[in-house]
Amino acid sequence: MSRYEKGAIAAVVLMLVAAGFIFIYAPEDALQGAPQRIFYLHVSSAIAAYGCFAVVLLGGIVYLWKENVTADRLARAGALVGVVFTTVTLVMGMIWAKPIWGTFWTWDARLTSTLVLWIIYAGYLMVRRLAEPGRQAARFAAVVGIFGFIDVPVVHFSVTWWRTVHPGPIVINDALPPQMLVAFFVTMASTLFLAAVLIAIRYRIEVLTDEAAERVVTAPIAAASKAGSAR
Amino acid sequence: MSAVVASSLTQRFGSDLALDAVDLAVDSGEHLAVLGENGAGKTTLLRILATATRPTSGSLEIFGLNALVERRLLRARIGFVAHASGLYPALSATENLEFFRTLHGVDRGRVPEVLDLVGLAEVAHRPAGKLSRGAQQRLAIGRAVLHDPRLLVLDEPDASLDSGGADLLGRVMRGRTAIIATHDHALANRLCQRTLELRRGRVVGVPTRLRVVH
Amino acid sequence: MRSVAVALAVARKDLASEWRTRELVPALAQFVVLALVIANFGFEVDSRTSAAIAPGVLWMTLVFAGLVAFGRAFAAEREQASLEAMLLTPASPAAIFAGKALAAALMLALCEAVLLPALGLFFGVSLTLEVVTAVLLATVGMAVLGCLFAAMVARIRARELLLPLLTLPLWIPFIVVGGQAVQVAMGAGGGSRAGSATGLLLDLDILFVVLTSLTARFVLED
Repeated sequence: MSRYEKGAIAAVVLMLVAAGFIFIYAPEDALQGAPQRIFYLHVSSAIAAYGCFAVVLLGGIVYLWKENVTADRLARAGALVGVVFTTVTLVMGMIWAKPIWGTFWTWDARLTSTLVLWIIYAGYLMVRRLAEPGRQAARFAAVVGIFGFIDVPVVHFSVTWWRTVHPGPIVINDALPPQMLVAFFVTMASTLFLAAVLIAIRYRIEVLTDEAAERVVTAPIAAASKAGSAR
Repeated sequence: MSAVVASSLTQRFGSDLALDAVDLAVDSGEHLAVLGENGAGKTTLLRILATATRPTSGSLEIFGLNALVERRLLRARIGFVAHASGLYPALSATENLEFFRTLHGVDRGRVPEVLDLVGLAEVAHRPAGKLSRGAQQRLAIGRAVLHDPRLLVLDEPDASLDSGGADLLGRVMRGRTAIIATHDHALANRLCQRTLELRRGRVVGVPTRLRVVH
Repeated sequence: MRSVAVALAVARKDLASEWRTRELVPALAQFVVLALVIANFGFEVDSRTSAAIAPGVLWMTLVFAGLVAFGRAFAAEREQASLEAMLLTPASPAAIFAGKALAAALMLALCEAVLLPALGLFFGVSLTLEVVTAVLLATVGMAVLGCLFAAMVARIRARELLLPLLTLPLWIPFIVVGGQAVQVAMGAGGGSRAGSATGLLLDLDILFVVLTSLTARFVLED
């Protein structure tokens, strides 16, 4: 079994463990009832997304500085996985919002900035796809990733900087009962591990894709020069 | 003494291979003509030599410096006449040259000097867009020598030049290392000492020595 | 300093070209007035609602005009060839970029000179120094961001789609903060927040001017 398969299985197992903590160990919230259990994965996904976009930022900076292809591939992986986790955050948030706020969406600072975050990195992926493959795509995407990361602290601090419908920071403010806190940390650790595994797998895919692209071009040349020298 | 040494220059645009392992060497003061049909890769090669783009792989040394790294330094010593002139049609010839003079950090006396050299002194105040194609090409050539470069790279400069153009090219190329892409074999014979032919991104044959012409 | 001389020369060249051809500014000014007219019909403006709607109309118009103005700084084929010619000199790409962004910002500012009085006229809102300052400060930040991404998408397919997609998310802080400053000044909110909004716009300007200067050379050349 390859290490990617092992990593994937470990990630799934950890997520199942987290699910156990969420549904069995953690108590039901007195005010909100069952929907509150969405909190664990919703917040963990958001933090995982921040981490992914930090990978994009660092990868981009290293690429611009040293033209290191590994850094670029990590950035690509981080962006895709980050967009996935941001989507999860938004969707879980909407599912949670409907029973609690009575609406799927509202334009408060936290939700809006998170949506903007999604749009920015979707833009990153589009730039990668549309620019000339190779150095140009890598450079342009790196620049987008650097500017895009400015939104991350905005998303995070939006609930303290502005008055929002979205609840403020409760983990840091120690407003959670101990069992919920434990369940949260287990879920967060599992989610971060999942994110790391996904990035590793995606990174490997990027390596293979790059190599395949190179073979496609050099193959006709190799064939042509063989034909040439045979003559 | 080698002014330009290119080794295994390869340029790929996606799956399109524009240049395939091109080797090239030009001595100081030598004039090289790059021949080939449209689409052979002449423009791609010249753009790399002028440091306008970087190759996908390969190495390039100009005046002893690594041209892929020291581009800023080398650009002060290279003049490029590209396919598209990049001149400003709304500005006059003088204003165009004045602008590039500022970017190069060159003395202002150079502008009238260059206008004389390329024979545009009389129409210097006319907007560049209103000049004839031949005159515009002269202006582009003038801009390329404004900073007195040691290497001149010319991409089919003869294409829109008027009569006397060959003389002008001879004048500006004199005393400099020059690489000129052209279809015109007679012009190549007249101005250059060696030729290099490209076909579908590759060098064909051996760089030939031309008869020495006065 | 040579970089400053280069930036000013580039800006002067762009402005002189525009002055002689008069392509962009008149078209933008017309667009701006048209936008105000349409807003009037689209929003059911009367004397009660105009002060509340005017800031929104102002920023929407600025965003669309900005996308056009900054997009053009790098878009045309000719611009690309000229840009390359500029880059093949010892001049620093950051200085060249600064010059182009400066020229584009000034051209947008000229439109604002039409937009703001027209807004005051059609919507009956007051044009105080705070409004003008907020708009000008936001223009600087929007210009450097808009021009950077315009330079990027000029080389890519689907540029009409990509430019707003990349630029608008980063313009949001300017629209939000600028909107607050203008709302206050147009008489729809608390007084002390206008001053802090202006300060924040200045901070944002500094942040983005520095960031775009540092990244310009990766976008402009290979």
